[in-house]
Amino acid sequence: MDWSMGGYGFYVWGSYLCSFVVIGLEVFTLVKRKRACAHQSKEDRPKSSHSPQTGVPRLVDNRN
Amino acid sequence: MNVYKYASPSTFYPLAGKMVPWFAIPAAILFLAGLYVGFFVAPTDAQQGDAYRIIFIHVPAAWMGMLLYVLMALYAGIGWAFNARLSSMMASSIAPTGALFTFISLVTGALWGKPTWGTYWVWDARMTSTLILLFLYIGFISLQASIDDTRRADRAGAVLALVGVINVPIIYFSVQWWNTLHQGATIRILDKPTIVPKMLAAMLIMLAACWVYSVAVVLIRLRCTIIEREQNAARLAEAT
Repeated sequence: MDWSMGGYGFYVWGSYLCSFVVIGLEVFTLVKRKRACAHQSKEDRPKSSHSPQTGVPRLVDNRN
Repeated sequence: MNVYKYASPSTFYPLAGKMVPWFAIPAAILFLAGLYVGFFVAPTDAQQGDAYRIIFIHVPAAWMGMLLYVLMALYAGIGWAFNARLSSMMASSIAPTGALFTFISLVTGALWGKPTWGTYWVWDARMTSTLILLFLYIGFISLQASIDDTRRADRAGAVLALVGVINVPIIYFSVQWWNTLHQGATIRILDKPTIVPKMLAAMLIMLAACWVYSVAVVLIRLRCTIIEREQNAARLAEAT
């Protein structure tokens, strides 16, 4: 493989770099959000409000 | 087995958690395989040289941007019509990933345009309608974030998503309806593809990678949304 991409390296590698940086940022922010959710869930909810089978929080139906 | 029970956020939550690794791991493998085939197996293009290799990320990202919008509108519409909370949450979870792929398609398209057309951007029908798609995604996310009541936010978002879905066929057919600088479709549903099989293979592997990646991140985001909405509902219940 020609790493210089026949003189188009900036455009080709720039495209992939930009794409994977953006994808990486999405994954990073999602992991942060997931951790924050798990942390908040532990702080906010008493043990009894979690399902004994799955350990997931029991949901409150906020719709009438 | 009653599959309808998974329409409830509380029953879908653990299922989504179990599904995530089944999509996240293949996504990583497929991305690596797609890059390998795209850079080491696919031959250099006779006209564009190696600059064409941008196609392996640009086309899957553009397809995902459109497909995810249709899916988002569908879920938002179902959520609105049947008052199905999980569908509305699914629509909210799809939007950021769809916006991400649309952004990637615009950036990689600009980086491909410079060496092939001599310019990063022109206001032609394909590019302008894709930019509108990005604005629709941003509008959907912003609208939902600006309304505190999740039910009203879901309804407002559904209206925007359903109205905006008209933009998807406009993007797809723009190269046929108008005289655009953007090239026509390389792969058509009914015709034989006009691309070398090795190039097509790399593109399809990358498309599969983008699909399974999207499913994985949407499921993770959906789980977060379920938890966050549940917490908000609990806080509201405590306050009233």
